[in-house]
Amino acid sequence: MLAGYIEGLSMVFQLGTLLAIAGGTLLGIIMGVLPGLTSAMAIALLLPVTFGMPPVMGIGMLLGALCGAGVSGSIPAILLNIPGTPSSVATTFDGYPMAQRGEAGRALGLAIVASFSGGVASMVILSLLAPPIAEFALRFGAAEYFSLSIFGLVIIASVAGKSLLKGLIAGFIGFFASTIGTDPIAGVDRFTFGQLSLLTGINILPALIGLFAISQILKNAFEYDPAEKLTAGKHKIDLARPRFVETFRNWRALLAGIGSGSVVGPVPGAGGSIASLVAYDQARRFSKNPEKFGSGHSAGIVSVESANNALLGGALIPTLALGIPGEAATAVLLGGLMIQGITPGPMLFADQSGTIYGIFLAYLVANFAMLLIMCLGIKVFVKVLMVPRKQLLAAIVVFCFIGVYAVDGDVFNIYLMLAFGVLGYFLNRYGFGTAPVILGLILGPIAESNLRRGLQTFQGDWTPFFTRPLSATFLLIALLLLAVTLWQNYRAYKKDLEEIKSA
Amino acid sequence: MKKLIVSIAATFAVVAATSAMAEYPDKNIEVIVPFSAGGGNDTFVRALQPLLEEKLDTDIVVRNIAGGGGAVGLSRAVASDPDGYTLAAASNALQTLEAMGNVAFTSEDFDFVAKVLEEPYVVAVGSDSEFETLESMVTAAQNGQSVQVGVSGVGSSAHIAAVAFSDAADVEFNIIPYPGGSETISAAMGGHVDAVVLGGAELRSPLQSGRLKALGMSYEERSDSLPDVPTFKEEGYDLSLTVWRGIAGPKGLPDNVKETWVSAIEEIMAEGSFQETADNLGLDIAPLYGDELDEFITTSAQIMREAAGDLAQ
Amino acid sequence: MDRDIGKPLFDIFLLVASGIGFYYATTLPSITSAGGITPAFFPKLLSGLIFVCAVPCFIRDSLEWLSQRRERDYEAQNVRSDGPKSAVAQWLFIMALIIGYAIIFERLGYLVSTSLFCFLSVLGMVMLSGEFSGMSAVNKLKSGLGYLAFSIILSSSIFFVFTALFNIPLPN
Repeated sequence: MLAGYIEGLSMVFQLGTLLAIAGGTLLGIIMGVLPGLTSAMAIALLLPVTFGMPPVMGIGMLLGALCGAGVSGSIPAILLNIPGTPSSVATTFDGYPMAQRGEAGRALGLAIVASFSGGVASMVILSLLAPPIAEFALRFGAAEYFSLSIFGLVIIASVAGKSLLKGLIAGFIGFFASTIGTDPIAGVDRFTFGQLSLLTGINILPALIGLFAISQILKNAFEYDPAEKLTAGKHKIDLARPRFVETFRNWRALLAGIGSGSVVGPVPGAGGSIASLVAYDQARRFSKNPEKFGSGHSAGIVSVESANNALLGGALIPTLALGIPGEAATAVLLGGLMIQGITPGPMLFADQSGTIYGIFLAYLVANFAMLLIMCLGIKVFVKVLMVPRKQLLAAIVVFCFIGVYAVDGDVFNIYLMLAFGVLGYFLNRYGFGTAPVILGLILGPIAESNLRRGLQTFQGDWTPFFTRPLSATFLLIALLLLAVTLWQNYRAYKKDLEEIKSA
Repeated sequence: MKKLIVSIAATFAVVAATSAMAEYPDKNIEVIVPFSAGGGNDTFVRALQPLLEEKLDTDIVVRNIAGGGGAVGLSRAVASDPDGYTLAAASNALQTLEAMGNVAFTSEDFDFVAKVLEEPYVVAVGSDSEFETLESMVTAAQNGQSVQVGVSGVGSSAHIAAVAFSDAADVEFNIIPYPGGSETISAAMGGHVDAVVLGGAELRSPLQSGRLKALGMSYEERSDSLPDVPTFKEEGYDLSLTVWRGIAGPKGLPDNVKETWVSAIEEIMAEGSFQETADNLGLDIAPLYGDELDEFITTSAQIMREAAGDLAQ
Repeated sequence: MDRDIGKPLFDIFLLVASGIGFYYATTLPSITSAGGITPAFFPKLLSGLIFVCAVPCFIRDSLEWLSQRRERDYEAQNVRSDGPKSAVAQWLFIMALIIGYAIIFERLGYLVSTSLFCFLSVLGMVMLSGEFSGMSAVNKLKSGLGYLAFSIILSSSIFFVFTALFNIPLPN
């Protein structure tokens, strides 16, 4: 193994390779900042460039893009309340309020260090434990996926505003929207009304950008008041530096993030988008002051951002150890690996040539490159807030349009984005919230298809959902979390009543 | 003034006429990939892109128009001008959509330029499966055992292939659709389904690592990429199908466009630089052009339609 | 804001929409697979749940509206609902402009539609919000030209980055 690492070192520490990794990281960061453009897109665009490169150099470049896009989604989430990818939705909960206080630089500094720590930690986990974790992920059958999604849906209660009922409605709306398209088991068209673009269901990205970005644009247009000038003095630029000490002081949140990223990330098809929400939920539950979450609390940012980069390492586990990519970005990466002649699987880890160690080290270097680029850029990012509001408004709309159009090249998705934007505006305005909608949209299909797939596999028998150990465990945890949430909700409600009476 | 306008108009007319007569291609060629960046179709086009750009001496713009399992992008390709500057990455998805009756176009609305790559549909089982041969799997199903066969996507070409195989073997499998190839493979590795029907490229790494074993595949004859795997026909099931990828355009492509493309692809294949990429991806190079290609398309469309008809019932 | 009729109205919208959703769900073909869950099961269940949850929301929100009580909802405190006087006009203007942009995006191509959208949106916001009032004609013209320059530079620089550097085609 040591020999392997030395071999790997000699592959990574060459000027060309280091430059390729840094270049990939930079492109990933740029793509991640723009709403709609994802790491999958960045990797796909870089793919032809890597064909002629030696394996570790090419894969390093792709890993750089993966890593860069993983962190930079937090920039628009913090500065503008616009998450570019589903995994940075939770970054807005605390990042935006903190930025509103004039501490955007601090929020970014926390996000950068947390991402970096999450990335490095997941690299260590990946290099040591990939094969056993991958085997564990294989134990997920239909019953386990179903129970996992129920566990995830309970998080709705945690991200809902004060009214649990309205949060639930928002979650159900998202779940209902997810049933649009071809039925996943029977193949029947549901609510497509002859629209070809809806055959494969509602795309997450246009929905996400509509719910968060367009709704925010509409809100800003509503509130636009030239009398209220955003002065440069309000934003403390000198706060904008990486925050190592403060991040590590939030070690509980950091561990929660790394933990959920590494555990949820490897589960194919389910992990990516919800790992950060799970991390936020867990960090809040185990925090000494959970009421601070959602008001610009540093632990909130740390948990989400560390999970965001830890899940990338997590998602690489089944990709490298089994050849099973968890989602779009690692699927493209797998294509890149195979074109390079690297066949993922257990044999890759037994391979003595050092390629796999080179890949691990390249991923580590990508994290350092990310840290460096982000630290250099942080003061520039904060300046975005000084762009006059009306021009910023127009520019964001343009980027949303391009982001949605570039992914699938389908104008229908732009209209879809607008519809979700109007819906999101009113949901926010009347206290329903938009985060539950996205959760419902992502988890809904996992819940429905796996329930029905499981029933078909077990030939109509319901009991395996409750008797299979993993599945039963998830359901039990979900039930417990739900009970705790309801109890906390009830107590808060009673406290509220008393306050009104005494007032 | 009038003179000026006339002369400008004349200049334009001359320019237009020369550009029509000029060698194809004289501007960028757009290739529509009807799937998101990163899918099998996308990788195929992007791998060919630099080689084609060199041969055709122009830029190729890959435009991903995804949605509806390829329906949106292919509909756009059909509706575009047949001038050779808008082409599409065609595959089985085209025939699958047609067979499932979801789209307004048929393969008759396309002009097929070339078929480039092929992979077989493979029936694979977990490494510790009770089934050693296709026959044992079919017999188990005949004896009333529920044999669960995972496929990637409801109404996908793999789904249709699985139905076609069960028709050929005259048994009922419990066919279980998964959202995509990787979910299907992990279900088979984890023992959640008995077998899977998937394209050979997706199965390449699990087969190589020995986590899954192939029982049979859908080529007419054995292939170099899977030399030990018997064909369905060898095992006594009358079915031959392939997953193919190629280039097509809207009906009415000019002959010189087709000729230019065919000779470019022929040259690339002859040079052999593409061979390694295809091997690494688990794909077989099986170029086919002209009338043979049209015949191939007709036959496979026929098989897909029949199987899809059973699926719809 | 003291009285926002929108709140109960939105609840009514949810009630009606979930009703329509439920109706369409009943028209789906009922293919019963193992376990007895049809394709219509989840749409029916979810639209039913939305309806059931929206009823108490509607009752609470309309009582609140009737009693004209001051908004206590903490979400609503985050939402500054009492914008400037021209708020509704600004909202409708941007909404209409974005829809218009979507319509011309592919028809006129990226460059023309984007420059047009940027220019009109900035100009419109300035006029509606009253930023222009009290400015001399020369200054108006100056800032107008500035907005035009901004629009063209922004859209063409984005165009260059995407098509030339990223190789992502945009509509033309």
